[in-house]
Amino acid sequence: MDMNEIKEIFFQECEEQLAELESGLLRLNDGDRDPETVNAVFRAVHSIKGGAGAFGLDDLVSFAHVFETTLDCVRSNRLEPTQDVLKVMLKSADVLADLTNAARDGGGVDETRSRALIGELEALARGETPVASEAPATKPAAPAHQAAAPAPAVETPPVNDEGFQPIPFSFDDFGDEPPIEPYVPTCEIVFRPKKELYAKGNEATLLLRDLSRLGEMSIYCDMDRLPSLAEMNPEEAYFSWKISVTSDKGEDGVRSVFEFAEWDCELDIRTVEEETVGEAPAEDEELPMQPVPFDLSILDEEAPAAAEDEEPAVADGDAAAAVAAAETATRIAQAASNASRAAAETAKADRAAAAAANAAAANNQAAGQTIRVDLDRVDRLINLVGELVINQAMLSQSVVENDNNGTSSINMGLEELQQLTREIQDSVMAIRAQPVKPVFQRMSRIVREIADVTGKSVRLITEGENTEVDKTVIDKLAEPLTHMIRNAVDHGLESPEKREALGKNPEGTVRLTAKHRSGRIVIELADDGAGINREKVRQKAIDNDLIAADANLSDEEIDNLIFHAGFSTADKISDISGRGVGMDVVKRSIQALGGRISISSKPGQGSVFTMSLPLTLAVLDGMVVTVAGQTLVVPLTAIVETLQPEASAIHSFGASQRLISIRNSFCPLVDVGRILNFRAMQANPIEGVALLVESEGGGQRALMVDAIQGQRQVVIKSLEANYTHVPGIAAATILGDGRVALILDVDAVVAASRGQSLKPETSLAATG
Amino acid sequence: MASRKAAEKNLSLAAVLDLNEASALHRQLMGMKGSNVVIDASAVERVGALCVQVLMAGAKTWEEDKLSFTFARVSDAFMKTMQLIGVNIDHLLAKEIRQ
Repeated sequence: MDMNEIKEIFFQECEEQLAELESGLLRLNDGDRDPETVNAVFRAVHSIKGGAGAFGLDDLVSFAHVFETTLDCVRSNRLEPTQDVLKVMLKSADVLADLTNAARDGGGVDETRSRALIGELEALARGETPVASEAPATKPAAPAHQAAAPAPAVETPPVNDEGFQPIPFSFDDFGDEPPIEPYVPTCEIVFRPKKELYAKGNEATLLLRDLSRLGEMSIYCDMDRLPSLAEMNPEEAYFSWKISVTSDKGEDGVRSVFEFAEWDCELDIRTVEEETVGEAPAEDEELPMQPVPFDLSILDEEAPAAAEDEEPAVADGDAAAAVAAAETATRIAQAASNASRAAAETAKADRAAAAAANAAAANNQAAGQTIRVDLDRVDRLINLVGELVINQAMLSQSVVENDNNGTSSINMGLEELQQLTREIQDSVMAIRAQPVKPVFQRMSRIVREIADVTGKSVRLITEGENTEVDKTVIDKLAEPLTHMIRNAVDHGLESPEKREALGKNPEGTVRLTAKHRSGRIVIELADDGAGINREKVRQKAIDNDLIAADANLSDEEIDNLIFHAGFSTADKISDISGRGVGMDVVKRSIQALGGRISISSKPGQGSVFTMSLPLTLAVLDGMVVTVAGQTLVVPLTAIVETLQPEASAIHSFGASQRLISIRNSFCPLVDVGRILNFRAMQANPIEGVALLVESEGGGQRALMVDAIQGQRQVVIKSLEANYTHVPGIAAATILGDGRVALILDVDAVVAASRGQSLKPETSLAATG
Repeated sequence: MASRKAAEKNLSLAAVLDLNEASALHRQLMGMKGSNVVIDASAVERVGALCVQVLMAGAKTWEEDKLSFTFARVSDAFMKTMQLIGVNIDHLLAKEIRQ
């Protein structure tokens, strides 16, 4: 594994940690006060910092450090996580994500923003209450002197009893340290490793070595707990240390040495006040502290103990570069073990049992639960399984053709093979299935940012985040969803003042829901805003020549006008949405995924956008039918029932419309062959079969086809990728006999039957 | 403290005294109980705290048993580590190598 791969893993873990961080913060925001939630949030930032440190990503480290310090205040109950505090933290999580992305992909981040947030975080850590409005880049800050007692600063800093007055301080100067009198603080450290520290491949001697590098150090090793040889457990931790370090790196520097071991030892670090230096407590005075020699260079030659437990012989120490690499690897292993610890926090008993294992073993244990697989490999497998399904179908077909009575043992074997193939396919598909949670989480950031820009107060409620769908669908969902969320907040929700005037909660609500419905995933985005201003939409459509001035449109039709290209009703084109490329792009992206989008809106109560998407873009259960000599596949999920129409059930309506009577209700009859221009004249319904389908709009239609060939699972081959988009057709597939069959886009056909005719290029005789 | 009557056993420490080595070292020392022990730490390149614990527990046990527990040779890395972690083994060093 080379360095880039390790780094890539680090960034993947960062993503997980960032998601963990955000969901934890949101839980806190919802009033969750479980200490474990706070711990999880802290650990997420801590792990990112640790890993970033190993790769020298300084910007990331320094931001994470400040963030972590503030979170530590929350963790130790010194800072109450109020809404205002959490607002700063959520923004910080966003900046941390930006910094991580910048570290991975290059590019910069908004430094003013991150610096302002550092200021806000530090203010919080000092016990100042956050400023409700946008934080200025500079703020009055406590003195930079770390040893000074943290005095809560107020607007006009008063002179306190000791004649001490906080001085306003610009963060532009941050980092330009040298104070007038160089003061080097002394830290007293009590370090008691636990057994786990060693078990995880950490080594007290290395920690002490790193500590000694900070500055002048003296040490006392407490061996009181060491039993006799016979009574001892050689892997138990008996030694503890009292250490005194005088270093310009201060307490932070000392803490950073222990950052990977913090959970596996008892650690007490305190900075000795200037005036009390030399006035150590009486018990310490008697300790024979032993100065540590400055020249420990000989120890630098060694490879860290944890790096290659299996092959101690490797530690020749002859190649400095190798040692450095091994050291980095160890830190990564430690970071990874930190991460795995975070994940397995609940299984403490297991951890204790596993404590005897070394760091590598701990990693393997974590890997036992999940593994990272290159998406390409999964896709190759899925493709191969797709080919297997096609091949199996071909084989079945040729056996059926050559087996007249259909009872031969080959035929039976084939059925089993078919079942097996299907199981394999389902399992492979399950590998690609992912919960929509990451996309939903991303949306909460979008909402925060737009709420900030627009000055609106918005609450995002997400439901069904664990609904699983194919990764491709998830990946392609983010963009349209982002756009819709922006629209919902920017155009949908009213300003807080207006909401209040209307008797609504000044805080608007945007609800994002995912659920499975009849083999598809349905995502709903609802806002409780003003709803669609139909008058305005209608006027705009008339102005843009989308509709005639006297057009008689239903409410639903007016609402759907917003999906037309170039339609934007925002009077002012804002930065956020309303660039005029809005909802038509969203609709196209959703359609490209084989999905549908619809809107329902109630004036004054808000709008609901409903997207229905296939769970996978790879296979489909379909009914194979014949239409005008062509073989088509109708997705099974769309079909409610099939029936053989009787002459008495068919009724003519208007010039060319026909209805079919089904159990005392009428349903429009749609000749698929006519709609797709397979034939010039409508076919006689009595000679065909009617498929009763439910379209996304909710209405039922009877699709007329000539005959049903059968029902089977087909592997979807994209028409867009291999040919071009054909209206009325969702995709193509290869049948058992090797022929290409088109998969019907039921909703498009239904929509076309409503009068929105498919465009001329639908002459499919050539493509079929 | 040393009993001259007991047999003397030699123990050469491995180059790397890490977590894995602690149990082995413990077993080796347990097998030498009742004998004077002379330890050669000249090949040691790195030593972890767990092995130092085992060695110090050994020294303590040998002292209680009134037997000698001596480091005849030590490497620089071994000595420096001891100094680093504040473990004084001066009294356990053979006279010849005491500074």
